[in-house]
Amino acid sequence: MATGLIRRAISSSAAVAQPARLLTARFHASEAEAQKVEPKASANTDTKKFQIYRWNPDSPSKPELKEFEINLKECGPMVLDALIKIKSEIDPSLTFRRSCREGICGSCAMNIDGCNGLACLTKISSSGSASTITPLPHMFVIKDLVVDMTNFYNQYKSIEPWLKRKNPPPTPGKEIPQSKKDRAKLDGMYECILCACCSTSCPSYWWTSEAYLGPAALLHANSRDEYTKERLEAIDDEFKLYRCHTILNCARACPKGLNPGKQIINIKQLQLKR
Amino acid sequence: MGASRGPRLSGLQKQVLSLYRGFLRAARCKSAADRRQIESIVSAEFRRNSNQVDRKNFLYIEYLLRRGKKQLEQLQSPNTESLSQTKQS
Repeated sequence: MATGLIRRAISSSAAVAQPARLLTARFHASEAEAQKVEPKASANTDTKKFQIYRWNPDSPSKPELKEFEINLKECGPMVLDALIKIKSEIDPSLTFRRSCREGICGSCAMNIDGCNGLACLTKISSSGSASTITPLPHMFVIKDLVVDMTNFYNQYKSIEPWLKRKNPPPTPGKEIPQSKKDRAKLDGMYECILCACCSTSCPSYWWTSEAYLGPAALLHANSRDEYTKERLEAIDDEFKLYRCHTILNCARACPKGLNPGKQIINIKQLQLKR
Repeated sequence: MGASRGPRLSGLQKQVLSLYRGFLRAARCKSAADRRQIESIVSAEFRRNSNQVDRKNFLYIEYLLRRGKKQLEQLQSPNTESLSQTKQS
């Protein structure tokens, strides 16, 4: 019995000793890590890594993600500022579209950390991990972050996004007055800047981009003029409108906060009434 | 791409050939001098690419096809008269 007690005493003391040893080992590791992390966020350098999709059509190589490091203290807050800084200081061959830098032209639409958005409106995330910037998904790439938008624009053109009248205007030669109710129908539609963020975030548009019109074009395919019946008939085939399965990725991706999915649901309801 | 115009052409090769045919047909609708200019530029470009571009490099070939189709659409419009080239130094 005594031996049993002694054995238990030894084992308990050994058990106590071991965690103490482990604790000291962990302590050393965290100290070393603390020393590693320190120089990253010091007084005048705060670096962030960017992984940017690069492909040059003139050189016959596969596309790749190139890494760039930027000092955030010398850079504006938005992703577009970082891209311009990389282009001007590190690699002038980086190619991307941009124009207004204030979120109204829609040129700088790209995929930032997995979400579609405008580079001039997306803040650089302050997390320590690298940011991944790729072009709009499932679009043909012309160079680096520039994609081929001709299919998108052709679809917009095909729905004839202008007002058509059957009858002559009520007072000839003068403007056609618009009621407040009619103007309220436009809210949520006219702010669209045709950046293509919504269409390129829709999985249904990825798989059938030639036939399905996409949320951006359908947002403008409204029927508020006198040609309602003809317009509804024009998109009433299996592909143009009904590829929408209310995934609603479009509403999530829109940088202007519009909801194309809701408009598409309205159009489908109008089709039922017809 | 070597001269592999054997009995079986791949889909990609057929697309390239039909694009070439499209260019020559569009050239027929222009004036005689312009037609010669267009034909010389287009055939030189296609020949150069067929020798330089690796036939397995589908990404680049498809990119060239898309670019060529857009240029063909521009050429087919009745307002365009001819093609011209500037030399890259």
